[in-house]
Amino acid sequence: MKQNSKRVNDVILQTASIIIFFIIVIFSINLFFAGHYSPGGGFIGGLMTSAALVLLLLAFDSNTLSKVLPIDYRLMTATGLLIALATGLHSLFFDRPFLTHAYGKFDLPLLGEQTLHTAIAFDLGVYLVVIGVTMTIIQTIGESE
Amino acid sequence: MAYQLLINFFLAFIWMFLTGSFTSSGFFVGYILGLLILFMMRRFFRSGGGGFYFTRVWRLFKLLLIFIRELFLANFEVLRLVLSPTLKVQPGIFRYETTLDKGWKVSLLSMLITLTPGTLVVQVSKDNSVLYIHALNMPDKDALRKDIYDNFESSIKEATE
Repeated sequence: MKQNSKRVNDVILQTASIIIFFIIVIFSINLFFAGHYSPGGGFIGGLMTSAALVLLLLAFDSNTLSKVLPIDYRLMTATGLLIALATGLHSLFFDRPFLTHAYGKFDLPLLGEQTLHTAIAFDLGVYLVVIGVTMTIIQTIGESE
Repeated sequence: MAYQLLINFFLAFIWMFLTGSFTSSGFFVGYILGLLILFMMRRFFRSGGGGFYFTRVWRLFKLLLIFIRELFLANFEVLRLVLSPTLKVQPGIFRYETTLDKGWKVSLLSMLITLTPGTLVVQVSKDNSVLYIHALNMPDKDALRKDIYDNFESSIKEATE
């Protein structure tokens, strides 16, 4: 990511990448929630989200991205691991083996009857870890001039 | 412009709540009715500039139709050039001054130019006012300039002013 050395005008790339960024993010969220009954899940959703962030890195530069999204990706990785660990540990309080998942039907306001499953929380942990690790790798490589 | 669209969505939701039909068809009916109400009240929106928002949608749709027509014509032109026994082309790069003011309009114009075969945007100048276009066959660059202006730039201006 070189600074102040732009000789060309990237207006087409930037306009296109902003529009495409939102489409990729909504697609990655769809992949994340699709993991239970159809192909998808936390891992591929996280990779897709980090791909959208990498697209912004390509169109702009790392300083702009850190201004727009002031996220510490190492903390994100830690948070994801903690969520996954807590999901595994909660079953110990109910005299069940480690990583036993609970699920049930709940009548939510506005959404009607939905089945909730604790596997989605574990998947959220995976999702955050994948984004954190990918972005940490790419930023570390990109900023070591 | 954008708040008329918001009002229209809001009216569609109100229609859904009034009729109690929370389906896509209920939303669609509400949207059409809201569009009619907005059309009757279009003189309200004069002061905010622009008038009725659906005219702009219609112009964008017309731009899409123009683009599809140009795509077909230019594709057949390139096909004719490629399949001709002797390659009589005059390739070159020319400047195209544009008067579009915003970056996304210039991007839209560049993409339309690039997607029609035979022409390709190579670079945009720093202040978004000049496009450098590579053309496969340009015996007369002024005709090509006029062609691009008549088809794309005037339509984009119409649709986004």
